[in-house]
Amino acid sequence: MNAPEPSRTLAAPAALPQGRPPGAKVLSLRGLHKTYRLGSHEVPALRGVDLDLGAGELLALIGPSGSGKSTLLNLAGLVDRADAGRIELRGRAVQALGEAEATRLRREAIGFVFQGFNLVPVMTVQENVDYPLFLSGVAAPERRRRVAGMLQAVGLDAHAAHRPDALSGGQRQRVAIARALVKQPALVIADEPTASLDSGTAERVLDLMRDMGHRHGASFLVASHDSRLVSRCDRVVELLDGRLKGAA
Amino acid sequence: MNRFEGPLRWLKFAWLNTLRNRRRSAVTVTIAALGTAAIVLAGGFALYTYESLAQASARATGHLVIARPGQFSGDEETPLQHGLEGADALRRQLLADAEVRHVLPRIEFQGLVSNGDKSTIMMAVGIDPDAEFAIKGPFLTLHAGRMPTSGERGRVALGQGLARTLRAAPGSGLTLLATTADGALNAIDVSVAAVVGTGIPEIDQRLVYTDLATAGQLLASTRLSSLGVFLSSMAATAGARERLAPALPGLEVRSWLDQAPFYRSVRELYNRIFGALGLVIGVIVVFTVANAMAMSIVERTREVGTLRALGTLPAQLVRSFALEGLVLGGLGALAGALLALSTSLGLLLFPVQMPPPPGRSDGYPLQVAIDPALYGATLVAIVLLSMLASAGAARRTVGRPIVDALAHT
Repeated sequence: MNAPEPSRTLAAPAALPQGRPPGAKVLSLRGLHKTYRLGSHEVPALRGVDLDLGAGELLALIGPSGSGKSTLLNLAGLVDRADAGRIELRGRAVQALGEAEATRLRREAIGFVFQGFNLVPVMTVQENVDYPLFLSGVAAPERRRRVAGMLQAVGLDAHAAHRPDALSGGQRQRVAIARALVKQPALVIADEPTASLDSGTAERVLDLMRDMGHRHGASFLVASHDSRLVSRCDRVVELLDGRLKGAA
Repeated sequence: MNRFEGPLRWLKFAWLNTLRNRRRSAVTVTIAALGTAAIVLAGGFALYTYESLAQASARATGHLVIARPGQFSGDEETPLQHGLEGADALRRQLLADAEVRHVLPRIEFQGLVSNGDKSTIMMAVGIDPDAEFAIKGPFLTLHAGRMPTSGERGRVALGQGLARTLRAAPGSGLTLLATTADGALNAIDVSVAAVVGTGIPEIDQRLVYTDLATAGQLLASTRLSSLGVFLSSMAATAGARERLAPALPGLEVRSWLDQAPFYRSVRELYNRIFGALGLVIGVIVVFTVANAMAMSIVERTREVGTLRALGTLPAQLVRSFALEGLVLGGLGALAGALLALSTSLGLLLFPVQMPPPPGRSDGYPLQVAIDPALYGATLVAIVLLSMLASAGAARRTVGRPIVDALAHT
C-alpha cells in the first residue's frame, strides 16, 4: 500500500469511513503529462504530476488560473486523456481504456460536481439524482430507496418533484452532490463547486460534501480557489505551472 | 428495471426536450405535417386517378379480351377475317369459371354513316346493348333519347360529336355503309335511339353503337371480333388470365391493361411527377428537422458533455436525439395524416368539380383516395426521415471530446 504523495496539509484528516483501511489508495497518478496544441503553439498543462488520493479523503487542489487544476481533474475523471503517465483507479490502470470502458467506469465509480451545477433542466430533482442509477440498470425499487435517502440526506426531499430552475444556487449544488454520490462512487471530481455560491451557502455545501463523502466512503478531488474550502479539506496540494508545488 | 421502463424514460426525456423551445418545435411539426399531408393527398389523388382510369379501361374492353391473334394485330384484309366462330360454346366455357360474371360479344368495324345529305367516317361496335350499357355505367353518358335495348333491331346510339356532325337526334334515320366479310359494299338503314358521350371528343366524333344482329347483317357474317370477359373484381384479372389462357388454344387472352395505353401513359407520368414531389417534400422535411435539431443540440452541447461525463454512452445520446426526431416527426406525420383525411372526407361531402383534362370533354369530381397503405408508408417514412435527420445532426456534437463539450458556452 503506497502512502499518499507528500503535500501541504492544512487540516487534520477527519475520521475515515468504516470498511476502508486508512490510507487505502483510491486514485494514483504517476508522471502525468498533458500538452494542449493551439495551431502550431503548444501549451503544456501538466508536466509530470504524481498524486495519490486515499479512501474517504477530501483533497483540495489549489493554484492560480492556468496552473493545470482542471486538466488534472479531467484526466482523473477519465473525461480526457493524458499524453503520458499512469492513472490507477482502485488499483487498476485506466489511462488506456477504450471509450466504452471509460464511460462504464465513470458511470460506476466516478461522480462529478461542476461549478455551474450542470443539472438537466427538463428533469426533476428526483430524476436528476436518479439518472446515474438508471444508467447503471439498478432496479426501480432500489433506485427509489436510494434517491429518497440521498435527497433526505442533502435536505431536499421536499423538492424532489421540482425542476432545477425552481431551486436556489445552493440547493442546485446539493442536488449535484446527491447525484454524484447516489451511486456510491469511489471518487468524486469537483471543479470549483463553491464558485457560484454565496459565502454562507458555500460553507454549508462544503460541510455537506465532507460529511457525505465520509459517510458514503467517497474520496473527493476538489479544485478550488476558495480558501473556505481549503480549510475544510483533509489535505491540500498546490499546482503551479503544471507541477505540484514542492515536487521536484 | 422492467423492459419498458428504459425506453419509456428515454421517450419522456425526448418529449420534454422537444418542449424546451416550443416555437421551434411547433414550426418543425407544422412542416412535417404539411409535408405528410401533401404526400398523402398527392398520392391519394394519383391512386384515385389510377383507379378511375383502370375502371374505365376495364369497363370499355372487359377485364380480359379474347380474340384470335390476328384480331389484335389489326392486319385483316376484310372485316372479321380473324373473327371468332362458335362464340356461344366459348361463352359457356368462360362462364363456367367462378370469377367470370359476364362475357360480352363485340363486333368492331369501320365504315361510313350518312344522313342522306352528308356522310362521314364511323367507328362502330356491335354489342349486346342491355349488358354492355349496364356495365359501362358512369363511363358512358346519355345526352339524349334512351339507350337501345337487346330486343330492338336497327337502333343505334351515336357519339355526341357524330350526332352534331350529322345533325342527328333521337328518331333520325341514318344509313350505315361498310364492307362485308366477303369484300362487297353493303348498307343498312337504322334509326337513332340515343346520343351518348364517352368524355373523349375524338371518340365521340366517330362512335356508333348498334346491336349484334344489325352489325352481323351489315357485315354479312356470323363471326365476332372478340369476347369481353368481366370478372368479379379487378384483382381477379391476372389469376383468371392464367387459368383461362391454357384452356383456349388458338386464341389470345389479353388483359385490360394490355388494351389501355392511355392508362399506362398516365400512370407512368403521374408516378414520375408525384415521385419527384414526394422526394422534394422528403428533402424539405429532413432539412427542417435536421436544422431544428442541430440548433437544439448546439444549445445543449454542455448538457451533452455532462451526460457523457455521468456515463451516458454516445450511442444512447444519439438514440435519445433520434427519439426527439421521432416525437417531432411522429406528431407532424399524425397531424398531416389527419389533415389529409379530413380533406379527403371534405371532398366527398362537398364535391369540387375539376375542369376537363386535355383531350376530354367532361370535367370530373376532385377526389382523393383514402388508402391505408399510403398513409402507413408515408407516416413511417416521415418518422424514419425525422429520426435519421436528428441522429445525423446529433452525431457530431455527441462525438465531441467531453472536455470541449463541457467548456461550450
